[in-house]
Amino acid sequence: MSIVEVNELRKQYDPPKGVVAVDGVSFDIAEGEIFSLLGPNGAGKSTTISMLSCLLHPSGGDAIIAGKSVVSASQAVKETIGVVPQDIALYPDMSARENLVFWGKMYGLSGDVLKQRVDEVLELITLVDRQKDRVDKFSGGMKRRVNIGVALLHRPKVLYLDEPTVGIDPQSRRSILDGILALRDQGMTILYTTHYMAEAQELSDRIGIVDHGKMIAIGTHEELVKIVGEGARVTARVDHYLEGMAERWREVKGVDKVDVEEDEAVLLTDDPNEVLPRLFEAAAAAGSRITEINVTEPNLEMVFLHLTGRALRE
Amino acid sequence: MRKILAIAWKDLRSTLRNRPALVMMLVAPLGLAALLGFAFGGSGGFDIAATKVVVANLDRGGAEAGQNAGAAIQKILTSKDLSDVLDTKTATSADAARKAVDNGSAEVAVIIPADFTSVVYGSDPAATSQVELYENPTAEIGGSIAEGIVGQVLADFNGARAAAAGAVALRDSGGPSASTVAARAAETFTHAGGVSAGLQVTQRSPKVGKSGTDVSVTGSILAGMMIFFMFFGAANVARTILTEDRDGTMPRLFTTPTGHGTIIAGKFVAVFLTVLVQAVVLLIAGRLIFSIHWGRIDVVILLTVVAAGVAGGLALLVISFAKTPAQAGAIGSGVYLVLALLGGNFTGTAQTGTTYAFIQRFTPNGWLLHGWDTAMRGGGVADIRWQALVPLGFAVAFFFFAVLKMRRRFA
Repeated sequence: MSIVEVNELRKQYDPPKGVVAVDGVSFDIAEGEIFSLLGPNGAGKSTTISMLSCLLHPSGGDAIIAGKSVVSASQAVKETIGVVPQDIALYPDMSARENLVFWGKMYGLSGDVLKQRVDEVLELITLVDRQKDRVDKFSGGMKRRVNIGVALLHRPKVLYLDEPTVGIDPQSRRSILDGILALRDQGMTILYTTHYMAEAQELSDRIGIVDHGKMIAIGTHEELVKIVGEGARVTARVDHYLEGMAERWREVKGVDKVDVEEDEAVLLTDDPNEVLPRLFEAAAAAGSRITEINVTEPNLEMVFLHLTGRALRE
Repeated sequence: MRKILAIAWKDLRSTLRNRPALVMMLVAPLGLAALLGFAFGGSGGFDIAATKVVVANLDRGGAEAGQNAGAAIQKILTSKDLSDVLDTKTATSADAARKAVDNGSAEVAVIIPADFTSVVYGSDPAATSQVELYENPTAEIGGSIAEGIVGQVLADFNGARAAAAGAVALRDSGGPSASTVAARAAETFTHAGGVSAGLQVTQRSPKVGKSGTDVSVTGSILAGMMIFFMFFGAANVARTILTEDRDGTMPRLFTTPTGHGTIIAGKFVAVFLTVLVQAVVLLIAGRLIFSIHWGRIDVVILLTVVAAGVAGGLALLVISFAKTPAQAGAIGSGVYLVLALLGGNFTGTAQTGTTYAFIQRFTPNGWLLHGWDTAMRGGGVADIRWQALVPLGFAVAFFFFAVLKMRRRFA
């Protein structure tokens, strides 16, 4: 059952001649699912989140969040969602606890319920010991955790996370990703935007790839990589006579294609685990020695490249 | 309401933790007031304009032709020698003279009674006559000048009457020498309850009874500084709307189930409370450090609340036109400085010349400064009704346009 239904959502700034940031995007998210919007900077991810957060009024289309329209029932939608913005949106001269208490009040919490939820969130973001310290004294990772904690205070049904791991150290990133997976396990629905392919791949039940304001592909990771239509890519270097070696590898069972690009051979295969020993055997038989070999499984980067002709990082 | 107060308390707390802001809001006005008060020696020193005086000479004159002591006073007040300090016109009746003060076209009315000459030239040493000075309570220096001049003339008349009375008293003792007559006249003149008490100046005010307490220069200066720095205090808090917009906390607030109106209202309350606290601290500090008598508590409360409203409304209006905090700072500083210069925050409101006094009426701070001056003279709520109502009108207008602009901006 879908808790988020996005239908032909569109946003044009300064119409009729302004930039179309989001152009007819549609997708849905099932309850308890992590759905990632993957795309380069400027693809329209944040604009989409802003419309789903009722921050921006759509130029067209609509989105239904837990049965409420972002166009006609924005206040009801806001009670359902928690939003973690891309940049840290906290009061730096207030402590972590003071921030959580203030934001809790903005979500309508008060009294014992507020105190209890603040304590729970401080536990969740592992900042109980530092709760009285001012936020501007925190590291980037700690600020990110408070930033996320704010959005969890009112136990939202749907959590939006807009690139929450930008600019933080690997340890904090790991901690945040583990936290998101834990929230999913508790049944929370999560909409996640990122331009980090690995994050989308690791976290997501399904992924939507956006570019230039349009949804260009949507599906599970496995479904998406099939779009590329090729298997794993193996690149290999040998100590001498690469052309001859490439000829021999074309004969190896399981190798679909071999090309020579400058000083390395590029092989395509559906099953690198089976093929790799055979490549070494063929090289040994030919009196050659493999000096370097790399296997690249098909990934979202390749999907994006395949669909747009550009690398995801561009 | 709970959310409004939460937003207001959050901003107020941030301001109280901001040391540079506190210095600007509290230390600067006190320091400047102390410095300027010291520079003016606590008694004045402003370059003053001529005081506008209206004279109603009702004196019927004496029995003999040409006897008119009132005309002598009128002549002195209109003499060229005093034209630098007095700009004197005449009125045909006491009511017309008082009306001129009431409507602001004159600061002091000198009303010479009908029996003035008959008392001055009369033979009854116990007879009395009173010249009325009807003055605007805020015309502190001008009132004193008129009072001094009229008082001096009356003292001269009193001296003459005393001399005459002394001469009459000695006439029967037979041919006294000139020195004996002079000595007796002096004795009569200085004798308590003698004829010297016959001609007196009485003072009245259209609104406020003359207080025995003089308004200290430091008090006037601190009132001006307080209002000026309240503008900056309000601006400091109002600017958080722009900084929060820039830093992402304002958009985040808009993602919570808190209405836009509630958020903006919270900001308004924060601005208002901050300047209110600032004013209260400055008023208490002024009382404790400079022994300033601010006036009756109800008047002080009314003026403080209205001043906070003006400062808050103006600050919000300024930031509603700015796109960035830096822009708001630049625009605000210019607006506040111009208003302070036009309104008299640095010069006071007393005796500032016709054109300047006219311009002050177009600034909320000009009205407020007049209000504080009246308050420090012991005026009541009725006495400052216009000095409170007009700035209140300014405040409401500022708030209205600020809200209108912000609703469009954050819609």
